[in-house]
Amino acid sequence: MPQVRIVAKNFMDMVAALPAMKLDKLYESAFICEAVLRSLPPMAKRYVLQMLYIDSPVTAKSMEEWLLPDGFSKHKVAIDRLLQLRVFVEVNDRKKETSYKINPKFQSNIQKHLVDGGTIPREPMASNIVVRLPTIEDLETYASQQWECFLLQLINSSQAEKLTSFSSSMIKVFQRGLLSSRENETPKLTENGFQFLLMDTNAQLWYIIREYISTAEDRGVDPTDLISFLLELSFHTLGQAYNLNTLTDVQRSAIKDLAGLGLVKLQQGRKESWFVPTKLATNLSLSFTDSSSNKEGFVVVETNFRLYAYSTSKLYCEILRLFSRIEYQLPNLIVGAITKESLYNAFENGITAEQIISFLQQNAHPRVAQKIPTVPENVTDQIRLWETDRNRVETTPSYLYEDFPSKDVFEAACDFARELGGLLYEDFKNLRLIVRIEVHQEMRDFLRRAPR
Amino acid sequence: MNSVSTPSKLYSGNFTYISSSPFLYFLPPLMGLLILWQSDDVSLIVVLLDVNPFFWASSAASVGDSTSPHHPTAILSFSKLLNHVIPFLNSLLLLNQLNQVVLVATGVNSCSYIYDSGDSEGESAGSVPAVCSEILRRLEEFVDKDRLLGKGPDKVVAAGVSSLLSGSLSLALCYIQRVFRSKARHPQPRILCLQSSPDGPEQYVAVMNSIFSAQRSMVPIDSCVMGVQHSAFLQQASYITGGVYLKPQHLDGLFQYLSAVFATDLQSRSFLQLPKPAGVDFRASCFCHKKTIDMGYVCSVCLSIFCKHHKKCSTCGSEFSQAPSDPNATPDRKRKTSEV
Repeated sequence: MPQVRIVAKNFMDMVAALPAMKLDKLYESAFICEAVLRSLPPMAKRYVLQMLYIDSPVTAKSMEEWLLPDGFSKHKVAIDRLLQLRVFVEVNDRKKETSYKINPKFQSNIQKHLVDGGTIPREPMASNIVVRLPTIEDLETYASQQWECFLLQLINSSQAEKLTSFSSSMIKVFQRGLLSSRENETPKLTENGFQFLLMDTNAQLWYIIREYISTAEDRGVDPTDLISFLLELSFHTLGQAYNLNTLTDVQRSAIKDLAGLGLVKLQQGRKESWFVPTKLATNLSLSFTDSSSNKEGFVVVETNFRLYAYSTSKLYCEILRLFSRIEYQLPNLIVGAITKESLYNAFENGITAEQIISFLQQNAHPRVAQKIPTVPENVTDQIRLWETDRNRVETTPSYLYEDFPSKDVFEAACDFARELGGLLYEDFKNLRLIVRIEVHQEMRDFLRRAPR
Repeated sequence: MNSVSTPSKLYSGNFTYISSSPFLYFLPPLMGLLILWQSDDVSLIVVLLDVNPFFWASSAASVGDSTSPHHPTAILSFSKLLNHVIPFLNSLLLLNQLNQVVLVATGVNSCSYIYDSGDSEGESAGSVPAVCSEILRRLEEFVDKDRLLGKGPDKVVAAGVSSLLSGSLSLALCYIQRVFRSKARHPQPRILCLQSSPDGPEQYVAVMNSIFSAQRSMVPIDSCVMGVQHSAFLQQASYITGGVYLKPQHLDGLFQYLSAVFATDLQSRSFLQLPKPAGVDFRASCFCHKKTIDMGYVCSVCLSIFCKHHKKCSTCGSEFSQAPSDPNATPDRKRKTSEV
């Protein structure tokens, strides 16, 4: 079974795909330099830091001398990435040696950051204005509610209680690839859709944001503006209110959509409107997915394959239904069982055992999260076994021969195939024979020569 | 699924088993098959800054005296040092949003936490000029307090007064232990010693104990020695814990040393050439007079080290019945203590 994993492509891949001119323009903003630097692989980060105060180009050869023998692959990844993002610029001198130089704009921005420190993208609301700001906890619940609501609308529009601000065409765009919508059929989640649901919030968010940006051009918005605004947003302080008037028109229309996703909370003041970034927004530039570890888990799996999920969320109920049989639902508890049938259903839909296990582990209730293993071993083993059950069959491209004129011809053909090492199956009773595809040509020649 | 469809009257027909679900073929092109690259370079760096006024005063004096210094680049004033160190701390925080930096000042009589990047997250969100002045203010306070502590009745002012390295190492390790215990998913910790004053042989046992506990909790100790001599303690510390020991030749370019060597996260270290120590000074200090010795006596029970023969081990109380016949003639009684 081929390993197919959809993972939201890194945001920075989108940045890297921008044309050089636009990329250089992006680097005029210190935030983008900072976000790009943070997104780099560790080795690349180190190279940037090492080259930061070297003004002359450094040859590729001398850079390789920094490495230990087994570091070459990592080195190549790092350098490729740096070149892709135009953080390093290739310089060819007269001797035709490749040298690398750090992008001057990027360099000066990072240097400035090290000495003077970063500035804030925009001034937060002055503290003398008395408006009740949401607490950090409020913001977090707001963000997760909003996000869940969005996801529910995405997978099952009828279930959602209140709709997000996205137009149905926008939702359709997001659903593309996650749902298969054939004519006259209720939309069904595709394999990718299932995998999307099992990803952690940050990865899901990236996926949606990526879709959002890639369709920006159709809405008449320059993707570069959106990218830089999103990156800038991630450097705002969590829980502070910022004036909407400081935004450009493009940003103001984008922020409404982002509020729908739960990235920011909009607040209406007496005269002016404000936006308050939530954790989802400030985590945007985070290069690694941290949100899952901070989230409180809710699932307890027992050794008897029963599953207790302490959650009120409809979304989680839907997700659990993907691979378990939901038995009953109490106000704050979902009880289900992992059965062979329910898992076969999941496998049929392209979910892998590893995904299910990692979902159960990631979302383990704090009580069981401390135990090792968090999901009982017999359950994980059984899930894996049931998966391998389905993969017992191998494919071998082959040819079937039948209707042999006589037993002698059949036996001669069998012997011939056996000699070639291509015999897969013989059936004396019905005079049928299966050979590998590789020996088909020789087999045909042999049969043609055979006496009738 | 998995069914073999036999073509009825065909001499040859291509038949295959289908083992995977047909969904596979509907992979929309927009789905990236990219494996999310997981970065594990989140680090917690505890920087131990030597603020020994005796050393820095003497180095400042020799900087001011423009005629004498034979190594103009080998001496740095304290304010210049800070000019290198603060951008370095800044760059560590820049590399990863989740990186955490803790600055510990090592004084002559005491040690103290000066700055913790994890603390300030709520309030000022780390605007650098504010952090910088905060560091300076707290350093000043610390030096004042440290000076008062030294004004006791048994005040010692010698030329080569050492800093309390053992104290700051223990502070760092305590901090790291707290992080280990409080969070399930903690950053990778490491310690960086910016040492300038000479080793204090009287701290030998305490320093070695800290080194071994760092080794046990897998915390590498990096050391950057800015003083005149090499530091045997730090050579051993870095050697035992797998850290990097470096004595920069040109202190003017200290930032480059710091960013090129000591900013490297633990994961990348396995792929990069980093400075290797030319040699490690394994000499120990004796427990009785706190002198650094090449050869000495080792208690066979508790491995305490003495510079001369004792009747009884002062650490564990074992009695040594046999007196040495002649310390120079019987090399087997003497032990090289380099296996520490």
